[in-house]
Amino acid sequence: MGLVATSRVKSPWILHYCTGGCNGCDIEILACLTPLYDVERFGILNIGNPKHADLLVVTGPVNWKNADVLKNLYEQMPAPKMVMAVGACACGGGVFHNCYNTLGGVDKVIPVDVYVRGCAARPEAVIDGVVAALDKLAGLGRGEG
Amino acid sequence: MASAETLVWALVLLPVAAGLIALLPLGGAGRKALFVPVALVMAGASVYLTAGVAAGGPIAIGLPHSWDTVLTVLDFALLAYFIYAGLAARHSLVTGLAAAGALGLAYLKFARLSGYTPAEPVFYIDMLSAVMCLVISIVGSLIVLYALDYMPRHEEHLGLEKSRQPQFFLFLAGFLGVMNGLAFADNLLWLYFFWELTTLCCFQLIRHDLTGEAKDNALRALWMNLLGAVALLAGTGLAFQQTGSVSVQKLIDIGGAGSGILLALALLCFTGFTKAAQVPFQSWLLGAMVAPTPVSALLHSSTMVKAGVYLVLRLAPAYCGTTLSDMIGLFGGFVFMVTSILAVSQPVSKRVLAYSTIANLGLIVCCAGINTDLAIAAGIALIVFHAVSKGALFMAVGMVEQHIGSRNIEDMEGLRFRTPVVGAAMVVGMLSMLFLPFGVAFSKWAAIEAAGLEEGCFLVITAFLAVGSAATLLFWAKWTGRLLTAGAGPRERREDAPGLAYLAVTGLVAGAVVLSVFIAPLMKRLVIPAQVGMGYANPFDLTAWNLVTANGSFTPWALFIACAVAVLLPALWVKDPEADGTAPGYLCGVNVDGGDEKFWSAGGAAVPVATGGSYWASAFGEEKLTPVFNWAALAGLAAVFLGVIL
Amino acid sequence: MTLTTVLTALGALVLAPLAGGLLYGIDRKVTARLQGRMGPPVVQPFYDFFKLAAKKRMMTSRGSGVWAWAYLLLTMTAFALFFLGQDLLVVVLVLAFAGGALAYGAFAVRSPYAHLGAHRELLQMAAYEPILLLTVVMFAMETGSFTVCGVLAAAGPLLPALPLTFLAVLIALGIKMRKSPFDIAACEHAHQEIVRGVYTEYSGRYLALIELAHWYELVLVLAVVALFWAQPLWVGALIAAGVFLLELFVDNLAARLRWSWMVTAGWGLGIGFIMINMVLLRWLA
Repeated sequence: MGLVATSRVKSPWILHYCTGGCNGCDIEILACLTPLYDVERFGILNIGNPKHADLLVVTGPVNWKNADVLKNLYEQMPAPKMVMAVGACACGGGVFHNCYNTLGGVDKVIPVDVYVRGCAARPEAVIDGVVAALDKLAGLGRGEG
Repeated sequence: MASAETLVWALVLLPVAAGLIALLPLGGAGRKALFVPVALVMAGASVYLTAGVAAGGPIAIGLPHSWDTVLTVLDFALLAYFIYAGLAARHSLVTGLAAAGALGLAYLKFARLSGYTPAEPVFYIDMLSAVMCLVISIVGSLIVLYALDYMPRHEEHLGLEKSRQPQFFLFLAGFLGVMNGLAFADNLLWLYFFWELTTLCCFQLIRHDLTGEAKDNALRALWMNLLGAVALLAGTGLAFQQTGSVSVQKLIDIGGAGSGILLALALLCFTGFTKAAQVPFQSWLLGAMVAPTPVSALLHSSTMVKAGVYLVLRLAPAYCGTTLSDMIGLFGGFVFMVTSILAVSQPVSKRVLAYSTIANLGLIVCCAGINTDLAIAAGIALIVFHAVSKGALFMAVGMVEQHIGSRNIEDMEGLRFRTPVVGAAMVVGMLSMLFLPFGVAFSKWAAIEAAGLEEGCFLVITAFLAVGSAATLLFWAKWTGRLLTAGAGPRERREDAPGLAYLAVTGLVAGAVVLSVFIAPLMKRLVIPAQVGMGYANPFDLTAWNLVTANGSFTPWALFIACAVAVLLPALWVKDPEADGTAPGYLCGVNVDGGDEKFWSAGGAAVPVATGGSYWASAFGEEKLTPVFNWAALAGLAAVFLGVIL
Repeated sequence: MTLTTVLTALGALVLAPLAGGLLYGIDRKVTARLQGRMGPPVVQPFYDFFKLAAKKRMMTSRGSGVWAWAYLLLTMTAFALFFLGQDLLVVVLVLAFAGGALAYGAFAVRSPYAHLGAHRELLQMAAYEPILLLTVVMFAMETGSFTVCGVLAAAGPLLPALPLTFLAVLIALGIKMRKSPFDIAACEHAHQEIVRGVYTEYSGRYLALIELAHWYELVLVLAVVALFWAQPLWVGALIAAGVFLLELFVDNLAARLRWSWMVTAGWGLGIGFIMINMVLLRWLA
């Protein structure tokens, strides 16, 4: 891998957006930042600004109200960028599947690169997902998550 | 040098004569045909005069004794008018001070000076006068040219039935001649005459629009300047008692031996402080903002207020090395600091400019008080640089006001793009007031270096200068930033292109940049000769256009190259983003239709995005700070007079 | 200006990003350890830099890109002036121009968050600027020279004579390093108020430029600290390293303060310390 590819893999900055789930997955994602999991080991930062972010981490089923917000955020991220759907809701609507007010998954609004299962997704699974996303980013083609 | 004498008279009388001719109903075109040549002649004459003084040394011009009678008559006529103005407005302070002036003058002329024939010439033009004359004649003339375009639009805006431009231009142009006279005068009585004439012009120009506020503010300017004039008379009397002469040069030669002379010097400096609107007299200059913009530009940048610091600086060799000098330095530094702090909370552009003017004048006073070779060089250089930059900024603000109908900084968002020429001129003008490769910051650098190595109260002066500089950064940078915001509105429509106004603004801005680049030759040709003429030494080693002092160094051209590379090169090479490379501003993702002009509120409404400046009024507010600063400045003035005794 | 000085300055210009980047890497490592975490590798800032530099160019306003470049180049100018042994006051004033450029870049976009950050950035500058100016004056009072060369040529270390000035510089350093309690302009912990303040609208390569400028700035400020003990210089370097670590500790101990506290600390405490130091110096002499 070249310098740039290495750097991309070593420095994924995350924008985390919840589209209206139960916050279970959000809490697990935040748990990743705690000393126990310490994702900053891998250069991962929760940056909170789409213009700085490389990886959009979305939780929740996406509803009609915030689909535009999600799209706006995604469009404000400079390429190369990845999207990771965390938890059952983000992957396909979860318990909200077929609800009148939800769209049923992040991929109904923006392209998703990695799906992380679970309700809620465990921190280990979230980290695994990030690694899968990074592999994809590095062009190694391993693991689709 | 007969030709020099002609030049001097031309510089004093030509603008006055042109102003008188302008009283005729000439119309706009006629006034242009009159004043454009006059401006060119003034600029040329001042350059020619400076070259003459630089080559042939100071010029002294005497007048027949009979002129003294004319002078006396004119003096009393002026004072009579002031008394009348005071009575008409029922302003007892004006009446009282004018009457006190008349009594003092009568006592001086008929009791103390009766039978006295001055041995010294009336006019004495050295390089310092010449520098002052250059500033007045070039910057001032440009302001008159600007006024030719500005005033018709101003009157149109006011909807006047009968144009009041003739008398406006009489006082505006006459002002230049009077100021030149003031810069040339050596005889204190003549100085007093010109001093009162500037007060008259100032009074008339401030009340020009004849609104209630304009009249009130004109009266305030009048009483404060009359107070200074009374001090000038007292100083003249004391100087005569001590030196047996009314010559400024004689006073400087004898210098600060004995408290009598020092008291005279302190009184003259006090006169300078009132004219230069130093705290606690700042309110007249702030009030002068009601006048049309050319007046503000003229009062602030090139003339009126500069007369005050010119006098203080002119007398600097006389009080060199005394406690009085230290106190003047402290007072000036204090004024620089507090007015810079006060400017932070101002949203009205003209008030920011006014406070910045007072601050810079305070810095010049401070330089005079520090009173070393380097400090005096900084002070003289600052007179030039400040006049050029501030003149440009005032005129630009005037044009903006006519474009957008507001003088509030909040309404100036994105002017760089809405009015590209004036906006860019303002940005460059502000950078030239603030950052280092430019001349104003150079003076600040020199002042701090000059004060830094001195003993005693200079420790406090450096602290004043440091805090003042920080506050300066705050108010200039946030205003500049506001102008630079992209996408704040469409380009302003312009009804007509006022050519002279654009010429004046862009010319002065270009002048500020060019003078800053060529600061070393400017020092060599003008500033250093001026201060050598005053009896100071050259503090700089100017080899290879560097400004190297004994303790520090400043390389303007290298810094200019570096800064040009840093700012201009990216401006050329950073390309506009491609179509897919633009992103709207971040609004938490709730941008309406992916743009950045509106966002969805929680209630589902499309709310326009607004940005605003911070003024931190809770900390830097005028209401809170002004009284404190006024009292402190009064204490400072008391310290100046106390400095006489110590 | 000899050839050696020019070569030193060139060398410093090349090496400073390495040193600055590593220092910021150490910063993140130490901070993580203080919080009981492993933390990223020490070279993490370099990964971040190259990643940002290689991102697709995206901008909200052309002006912000121009001013980001200006910020970097002006910082490098100040840096070069310092290592060329030039006037310290000039260095501080050029650094102020650089800081102004950073704020202008934020002002260039019509974004409420960027504007808020820019105003706060200006407040930060206003708070530390007098301390730096007066520190230079104190150096000059002790050594008789305003130039870096002159201070280096002085007979002995300055710290024993200027202990309170040193304390004031610590305040300035805290603000300049954008560390708690004075990290009000762009701190990620202030996300709720200002997102990322001045940096909100920058992305990709322009953010990388700003990062690079920070590295230069950090090395420059630490070099000024090292001047407190320039004979021998290695003691100064140790002091600078110690001060750097101290700031990291304070950063992790302290909470963010309001801007008024910061200005009070800069203008009140900082200048107060320096003034007392000045008086003591005169009194003892």
